Amino acid sequence: MRKIEEQNSNEVVVDVQNLNVSFGEAHIIHDVSFQVKKGEIIGLFGISGAGKTTIIRVLTCQIKSKNWTGKVLVTDLTPEKKKNHQKILSRIGYVPQLELLNLYFELSPLINIETFASNYGMKKEEAQKVAEELFTILDIAEDTWTNALKKLSGGEKKRVSMAIGLIHSPDVLFLDEPTTGVDANKRYDILNYLKKLNRRLGTTMFVITHDLEAALVCDKTAILREGKLLAFDTPQNLIQTLPSKGLLARLTIEDLTEEMIEIIQEYEHCEKISRVGVSEVEIFLNNFEKNLNYFIDYLLEKNIKIVSMSRDVANFRRFFQILIQEQEEMERKEEKEKENIGRERREGRAIEDEREIEENNAANE
Amino acid sequence: MKLSALIRKELGRIRADKRSLILLFSIPIILIVIFGLTTGGSTTKFFNAAIISRDEIPTYGDYTSNSSEYDEEFAGVFIKGLGSFGFQGYYPCPNEAAFLYAYEKNMELLRTEVIDVFLVLPEYFSEKIENETTNWIAYFVDGSDSQAISAIEVSMQEPISVFKQEIEMTENLTVLIPYLEFDVPFWEKQTINYAFPLTIPLIIIGTTMNLSCLSIVSDEPLPRMVITPTPKSSIILSKLIANLLIMVIQAGEIFIGTALFGLYVLGSLFELLLVLLGVGVAGVAIGLFVSSLTTTEQQANQLYIILFVVIMLFSGIYINPDDLPTAMQLIVYMFPLSHAIPLIYNITFKGLPLDYVRYFGLLILSAVYIFLAYIIFLIKKVEV
Repeated sequence: MRKIEEQNSNEVVVDVQNLNVSFGEAHIIHDVSFQVKKGEIIGLFGISGAGKTTIIRVLTCQIKSKNWTGKVLVTDLTPEKKKNHQKILSRIGYVPQLELLNLYFELSPLINIETFASNYGMKKEEAQKVAEELFTILDIAEDTWTNALKKLSGGEKKRVSMAIGLIHSPDVLFLDEPTTGVDANKRYDILNYLKKLNRRLGTTMFVITHDLEAALVCDKTAILREGKLLAFDTPQNLIQTLPSKGLLARLTIEDLTEEMIEIIQEYEHCEKISRVGVSEVEIFLNNFEKNLNYFIDYLLEKNIKIVSMSRDVANFRRFFQILIQEQEEMERKEEKEKENIGRERREGRAIEDEREIEENNAANE
Repeated sequence: MKLSALIRKELGRIRADKRSLILLFSIPIILIVIFGLTTGGSTTKFFNAAIISRDEIPTYGDYTSNSSEYDEEFAGVFIKGLGSFGFQGYYPCPNEAAFLYAYEKNMELLRTEVIDVFLVLPEYFSEKIENETTNWIAYFVDGSDSQAISAIEVSMQEPISVFKQEIEMTENLTVLIPYLEFDVPFWEKQTINYAFPLTIPLIIIGTTMNLSCLSIVSDEPLPRMVITPTPKSSIILSKLIANLLIMVIQAGEIFIGTALFGLYVLGSLFELLLVLLGVGVAGVAIGLFVSSLTTTEQQANQLYIILFVVIMLFSGIYINPDDLPTAMQLIVYMFPLSHAIPLIYNITFKGLPLDYVRYFGLLILSAVYIFLAYIIFLIKKVEV
């Protein structure tokens, strides 16, 4: 198994440039570009239908090359050529969203591991040795290794599934929604295990998820919406792009109403406001340190009663929400503009038609 | 290495599902036991018979003797008791009028189902036996019961054999039906053995199709398996081999089960087993074909039932393929039982050696189904 010293090298493991994916008339992915370096954990975030799975399918040789264009390299090999598929598949690991797609529940964890390991040409003894190592890292109790998987808990199954993905020491491990369907406590456990595996084994991980908490363990995050890549950087860098580098004021306001939010929005240095609870709002100010006091004065002036206030730095979840909101607003504006242009054109054409009729009538007379 | 691990996995899956495993091996035995017990005797029916003798009519001319005693001896065989026949009455007719009366009376008994058959011994019956010339017996049977006709045809061999044995008769005694040259002897379990050439392959093909028809469609981690360097050919080959191994056990079990119920085979037992294994291979192949063609377990089960019925109908038992137009014959010969049943008949009843051309035809047919399953699996959209 590869060890930690390989981590954080500059070697690019996944290189995607101007990826476009279409199925017939449907254009699913639009000009997506990003790079994944060895040892990194990359999170690909987006709401359902964003195109996350489609990208993974291209990278894991599941989509025919006639359906996509662009430069894609996975471990220096392009999935475009069919002859590369076996090589790529032998260098990558995959953990599907649902364990039942990765595990034979009627068989034991060890038999499952041996079966999948044999697909990579590993011998039984070798597979058992690596499995023991992985099971130890993933805290899978030894007395369960030979039990039927159906007797294991959901969390244990998830960890066995991760072990299967890593059994052949892949260059990149793709994880599809690793925390979906898992309760809150176990979600953090799984994220911690991912980080642990990444640190111990130096495996590059490519996580697709809509669980924004997963960003906690990601070195870089990519945000995808309707097939377009909106952002790709470290979570910290992305947050820094927010007003005042992500500094925000969290206020609890008595009897908070939509009118009050509109009044707050009217404050000249207020960049963004998000309602985050029944009576809570988060406010991004322009030049935060300087304007905070003036902002409080403004609220008092407007008879808005502040129950409590704290200052904080935005997290990735907030960044994601703001980015998606901005995008939606932008799209709404563009649509409106298009509608206006269309209406103007139609009206212009109607006036011209009327004028033409009048001229024709005049000529006839 | 890859293949052996995949086969181990397939066998492990079958072994782990205890309920299916029990059904897999118990259903064929249950079917044979039910079939064997319900048809277990020498014949399915016990027939009441009456005998009219014209042998009592005084004769002159061709025959020097007129001992007139063998007709009574023949009736005595019935009176002493037989496995298949009960005795209703003996009607010796010294003249034509007596014969007409006896004939009318027995027709009425036949009509009212007091008797199932009456036999007529001809004039010169005893004389012909004495002179060791070919003899004959006619019988009248209720033609409204088609099953009874064939059962009586079979059962008639019993009194004739006993009679011939008792009088140490060596020449032929013709019953006015074709002499059953390659029949199951009356001392064997006749009904069950006449049915075996259809029932054994049907049980084998049914159970083996059932064994493999879910092997692809119920394999939920299969799409994940496809995102490994393992080629699809290895995946389907591992399923084929694992199912064939189970099939060999099933076919062996069915073979032994039928033997315990009195399987009659004139030819080679080994060759019969070979044919049964060939049927098993065809069953597994068609099951795999069904599994690769369908996308859900429900679809697979439905297609399995449909194909099983078609296989049964086109087995050659219900419709003679030679009577069909050429295009239809081709369709019939695409199904395995149309090849397997004649092979089994020839081995069991006629004692013929295995027709290897036809046997390899059966195996090639299985190979075609496997190839089709593979091609469909190759182009089937399988993604995580």
